[in-house]
Amino acid sequence: MSLSSASSNSERVHFERSLRRLEQDVLRMGALVENSFRLSHQALFSQNLEAAKSLPLLDKQIDRYYRQIELDCATLMTLEAPVAQDLRLLSAFMQLVRDLERIGDYAEDLAEIAIKLLPYPPHACLPQIEVMSHHAQAMLATSLVALADLDANAGRSIKELDDKVDTAYDTLYHTLAHQQDIQGIVEPILLLALVIRHLERMADHATNIGQRVTYIVTGHR
Amino acid sequence: MTLLAFLLGLALGIGFWLWQRQRLQRQLKQMLGVLQTDASSTAMSVVSRLRQEIAQANEHRSQLEERLQTWRRLLEVAPLGYLQVDEENRLLWCNEQARHLLQIDRWEPRQLRLLLELVRSYELDQLIEQTRHQQKPTIQEWVFHPPCLDGEAMGEVRSLTLRASSWPLPHGDVGVFLENRQPLIELAQSRNQWFSDLAHELRTPLTSIRLVAEALQGRLENPARRWVEQLLQETNRLINLIQNWLELSNLEKNPSKSLTYQSLELRSLIQSAWQTLEPLAQQKQLCLAYVGPDTLWIRADEARLTQVFLNLFDNSIKHSHRQGTIRVEVTATEAPVLDSEETVDSLLFSNASDQPDGDASPSLIQIDMIDAGSGFADSDLPHVFKRLYRGDPSRQKSQGTSEPFTLVGSSGSGLGLSIIQQIIQAHGGTVHARNHPETGGAWLQIKLPDHKNLS
Repeated sequence: MSLSSASSNSERVHFERSLRRLEQDVLRMGALVENSFRLSHQALFSQNLEAAKSLPLLDKQIDRYYRQIELDCATLMTLEAPVAQDLRLLSAFMQLVRDLERIGDYAEDLAEIAIKLLPYPPHACLPQIEVMSHHAQAMLATSLVALADLDANAGRSIKELDDKVDTAYDTLYHTLAHQQDIQGIVEPILLLALVIRHLERMADHATNIGQRVTYIVTGHR
Repeated sequence: MTLLAFLLGLALGIGFWLWQRQRLQRQLKQMLGVLQTDASSTAMSVVSRLRQEIAQANEHRSQLEERLQTWRRLLEVAPLGYLQVDEENRLLWCNEQARHLLQIDRWEPRQLRLLLELVRSYELDQLIEQTRHQQKPTIQEWVFHPPCLDGEAMGEVRSLTLRASSWPLPHGDVGVFLENRQPLIELAQSRNQWFSDLAHELRTPLTSIRLVAEALQGRLENPARRWVEQLLQETNRLINLIQNWLELSNLEKNPSKSLTYQSLELRSLIQSAWQTLEPLAQQKQLCLAYVGPDTLWIRADEARLTQVFLNLFDNSIKHSHRQGTIRVEVTATEAPVLDSEETVDSLLFSNASDQPDGDASPSLIQIDMIDAGSGFADSDLPHVFKRLYRGDPSRQKSQGTSEPFTLVGSSGSGLGLSIIQQIIQAHGGTVHARNHPETGGAWLQIKLPDHKNLS
């Protein structure tokens, strides 16, 4: 991150070092969440059972990072009493990791749904859901890039991507809800409705991350 | 009188000057001593020696700088990717290939940024942390997924298998060399695909040949009948070989899809496998000694596990001496975690503070099969599990034993142990081959996890 380090005050240097370490942890957690999102996508759309089974452990790791980062942020805020951008940075981190952790949880849920969907033949609207998942993953990637660069404008572009995901959600919901002449079990349709809901929530959380980055830089949402 | 005072003063002044000069000379000599290469002759004065030494030092430094520039340029254009991070994981430098492989496009050379900001690879980061912590060079291979910010194009993005060799450097820096293994992986995959396709193609003509041979067998008299029987035998052997090869490839590609887990009782499985091969064992008066729990239930694929034991017993019977004993020892242990190979998953979980918490740890079932035969040749031991590896031909028994049983790999196809390893690995276990220190025969140790809660 482009934090200026003009002053040679050793306390300041120590504080910046702690900030950098914290930022590293947040980015590590982001990379893990990206991984788990990708694995859940493979589980759902490529019927990759190994990917689905590896998610619970990955999610535990993500949760561990979440708790640790929250604690470190609180500690740093108490000990160093930062102001202005540094304070916004720390409080934004605390909120950001909540969003990341939620995305990780949703990815785990998607993997569970993938396992439940295995016995059934693939549904006709799976390709559209796959595109929706790709969009959501792209949003997560964009928001993490925005975090790494502290780019305020990215928040706006993510909002536009979010609109695409919302439209896809509406269309797919309409398709699934108005299916007629269903023969056999209705479970696959139910599960797919849950899938698109989870994907839409994941996209919303990614948008939140982008908005928090804007907040860090400008102080406004 | 004044003249004396004047001369005294002059002498004092001159003495003072001489002393200062001596001091200067001493300091210059000291400085000359500091310059390590004192190749100048002592005939010249100290000042000119110093001048010469400084000139030499400057020249030496410019030579070193030039050499440094050459090395740096070489590293920049090297076919291997290279990047260097400092103690806080900020990227100090990366060369062209590294930027290409990891798609680092937002890096400016003068900017110090965290590596994780530029390339969000958890595995790379953990590798660097591990190298710095252990201060040992490490090699890790993982699948890298290039970032894609466009939802529509994400389907086209190809992931790379990268191998990184990291080196600890002074001051907490770490240097990482990156190799693109994707071409090799794709080559191996296409080669396997060719073999499988070939095997598929061979199956149909061989089946027709077998049909014709069986038809002929009924209509001929000896000696032609015997020839046709031999024809039939060899054809069956070929068909079995191809069948096993295809199954092996299938197991390798989709381990979890090919297995159907059931609850089995291990002892009865082993006993039934032994009974199938009883006639062969009787010929050499071999007997089976079972040591272990009377009933042990595990979850595994019944047909495949039976095949494992059939292959194991077949190998042991073939290589045992007469009136020997084949020992099977089964123990169930509570192992916390299995050995993990270097895969993506294990790298994701290799964080030192990680421990699976709260879950019931799977029990480990260890099966040792020890025979009293000739054992493995030491030179064969690293290769026994490779496909079609047959070891020292002098250890092969003759193929003359009658074959009313079409056992897999029984004709010494070289696939028997490969199949065992593949099936055990598909169950998530490991198998090791050694020579037993007591009996001198072959000792195969199988470790199987007991998936109590597998769907």
